[in-house]
Amino acid sequence: MTFNAAALLILIAGLALIGWLVGRARSTLLARRAGTKLHSRPQYHGWYVALWLFAPATLFLALWVSISPAMVTNEVLESPAAQSLSAVGFERAAILSDARAVAQGKQQMVRMEKAAPLVQPYQQASRKYALIGVIAMFALALAGGLYAFTRIQPHFRARSRVEKIVMGALVLASLIAILTTFGIVLSLLFESIRFFRLVSPAELLFGTTWNPQSGAAVKDTFGGIPLFWGTVLIGAIIAMIVAIPIGMMTAVYLTQYAAPAVRKWVKPCLEILAGVPTVVYGYFAALTVAPALREFAVMLGISNASTESALAAGIVMGVMIIPFVSSMADDSINAVPQSMRDGSLALGATPNETIRQVLIPAALPGVMGGILLAVSRAIGETMIVVMAAGLSANLTANPFASVTTVTAQIVKLLTGDQEFDSAKTLAAFALGLVLFTVTLLLNIVALRIVKKYREAYE
Amino acid sequence: MNKATSPTDWKGQAMQSRIARRYASERRFKLFGLAAVLISGAFLAFLLITMVGNGARGFTYTHVAVPIDFKEMPLSIDTNRLGDDDADQMIANAGLADIVAFASEEALGSDAASLISENAWKEVRTAIKDDPQLLNGRHNFDLPTSSAVDIAAKTGAKSDVSATVQQLKSEGKLSTGIHWPFFRNADATDPAVAGIWGALKGSVLTILLAFIIAFPTGVLAALYLEEYAPKNRWTDLIEVSINNLAAVPSIIFGLLALAVFINWFGLCQASPLVGGLTLALMTMPVIVIAARNAIKAVPPSIRDAALGVGASPVQVVFHHVLPLALPGILTGTIIGMARALGETAPLLLIGMRAFIGDVPGGLCSPSTVLPMQIFLWSDEVDRGFVEKTSAAIIVLLFVLLSMNALAIYLRNKFEKRW
Repeated sequence: MTFNAAALLILIAGLALIGWLVGRARSTLLARRAGTKLHSRPQYHGWYVALWLFAPATLFLALWVSISPAMVTNEVLESPAAQSLSAVGFERAAILSDARAVAQGKQQMVRMEKAAPLVQPYQQASRKYALIGVIAMFALALAGGLYAFTRIQPHFRARSRVEKIVMGALVLASLIAILTTFGIVLSLLFESIRFFRLVSPAELLFGTTWNPQSGAAVKDTFGGIPLFWGTVLIGAIIAMIVAIPIGMMTAVYLTQYAAPAVRKWVKPCLEILAGVPTVVYGYFAALTVAPALREFAVMLGISNASTESALAAGIVMGVMIIPFVSSMADDSINAVPQSMRDGSLALGATPNETIRQVLIPAALPGVMGGILLAVSRAIGETMIVVMAAGLSANLTANPFASVTTVTAQIVKLLTGDQEFDSAKTLAAFALGLVLFTVTLLLNIVALRIVKKYREAYE
Repeated sequence: MNKATSPTDWKGQAMQSRIARRYASERRFKLFGLAAVLISGAFLAFLLITMVGNGARGFTYTHVAVPIDFKEMPLSIDTNRLGDDDADQMIANAGLADIVAFASEEALGSDAASLISENAWKEVRTAIKDDPQLLNGRHNFDLPTSSAVDIAAKTGAKSDVSATVQQLKSEGKLSTGIHWPFFRNADATDPAVAGIWGALKGSVLTILLAFIIAFPTGVLAALYLEEYAPKNRWTDLIEVSINNLAAVPSIIFGLLALAVFINWFGLCQASPLVGGLTLALMTMPVIVIAARNAIKAVPPSIRDAALGVGASPVQVVFHHVLPLALPGILTGTIIGMARALGETAPLLLIGMRAFIGDVPGGLCSPSTVLPMQIFLWSDEVDRGFVEKTSAAIIVLLFVLLSMNALAIYLRNKFEKRW
């Protein structure tokens, strides 16, 4: 018997539904018997019972699901069959997981001989703990339900109780965002510190050779400059050369020149461009754009042009960013007060002079903020560069050469077959920390600029 | 002083040429704007046309008619056991592959092995399981061809097999039709049997889990921040972290999931469970931001009216504000979910790039998702996978565009201007 958490959850939910009905009926009955009015409407009494039934039992279930595997393993290790196990941690863990897979029916046979005698104790222990868990959970559910049931009185303030619980749930939900942020920061920091014990931070940030060898932390192989340069070349230079003029001009045309009907149709089309998944862009870049660019480069007489080029990835990424830049520029231009535009036109300026000399300068802070956000998005983009930019770390300004980026290297470092604790996998987390810090700074600065600018015209 | 040459004279030549220059620059500028719109539109059209052009062929496959006489080459199996779980194994053990290979050599010549797919006998097996009567006589089976033959037959491109394909075509033995295994199967190394169903199911499981987690928490968090939260350092911290999480690169969430869910909690690797949790964390801030905007749009008069007739603050929010904001919240949620559905990078890091030949059974079984399948196929050497990749892209884009269209429809139908 394995522990089927989903089925148990549904069962508890069913019990809670019964509790709701019982609580509601009970409160009406009591009120009628006492001849008084209820303080709270009957369904609040129902909710009160249902929540008391549901919440403690589910919390216990979550706790039990996370701790019972460890308890099962402990029990197995104490059984006589486990006394002959080797003390080497790695081998021991492999044997145990082998036995566990068979005991849970994920595997037909044991792969290692030594695991065979452990299957039986494993099954026994997991059955025992599953049984304990199920019984305890139901006991908890019934106890909670009974407690709430006995508290139902006509004058019982069920509504305020329920509302307090609801408020607690709201606070809890909004704390998840903080938890995620802390989770990201802590996990990145934790693994990065382990990496920096092997390789100094200065080497990662300023070294110029990136050539990680498997396993060991060889000196001068974790220099991040080629990656940072590749990231900047693709995300901040080539992509922006494509995205900023086209995005800005699109926004200007759509807000200032286009007829409302055109605008109504073109904007959703641009949104489609933003909704295309990055893996599709990556495939497109690798299959169509990169070969075409290579032919173009060969035609220009550049002999060392590679099929994976910074230019292909950068151009396609730029196209991906266009809708983003365009909508940011759109917002900023629309936020400029109409009176400024009218004033300029009234002085005899043509529309394009108004746009270039009044609107865009006035909208510039907002546009700059939008561009910073676009850069932060471009340097964090992964699939396009993984598929089209290549993985060789070159420190070159030639856009037809293959370069690599921070994100592409994170993927490469983590998708090989190495031990989790090797310098290579830890390096991925260190790169992630650099990426996170840079994008965070860009975002904070950009959001601050945009916010300040909005306030200026409000 | 000659008035006609004064710089401010409207009719003067200097003024006229200056005006002409300014108007010309106006026209140029407008043209640049139009060009920018057209460039983005052209790129979108080019992308879609390339994908549809390549991918349309991916939905079809070429079959060759091969007669198999089961009287001459009997397949010795117990037909009563065809419904059992191990029927596939039983038929395989009885040597069906050899029979099919032999029959196709008789029909197509000595190089038949290179003309039909190595998995062709599996189609025969499916046919036998559906209709055991086939075993009693001689029947024509449409066997999937090898991917080289398939490409030659569909595109007419020159290759080693094009002469044979021409001959088979003139004999009327080849037929090209909709390839159902593409929608039915999981990944495989042979383009003749590789399908997207495994990836599609993985995607559905992952996205459902992400939705079940992210939607309620996102909406509750938004309600708290918008309706109840006091202005203090804590709520500022929550706000800042939500705004930043929405802009954190997706791959960072992959690192988080790898470090926390897989290495720390030890949840099942490459499973929809971990994938769904990761995407839930990623989409939650997006939902919160959309929900807050929708809640903000509900006019305060409604809250005041409800409070005025004696509703409690919780009742005001759950009975009035939330239902009114729900269309806006749903629109934002669908767009966020569509983005999560197209996401690949974080799932690469939690191991979903492994080759999975089975349709995932549950939340904890190893699986892949549709975008990942596209990524995996784009790396395949076999040329047959090029059109499969584009076909998978068409399916993915179709799903995403329908989701976005639904969101736009909801927005237009239920959006209220107060």
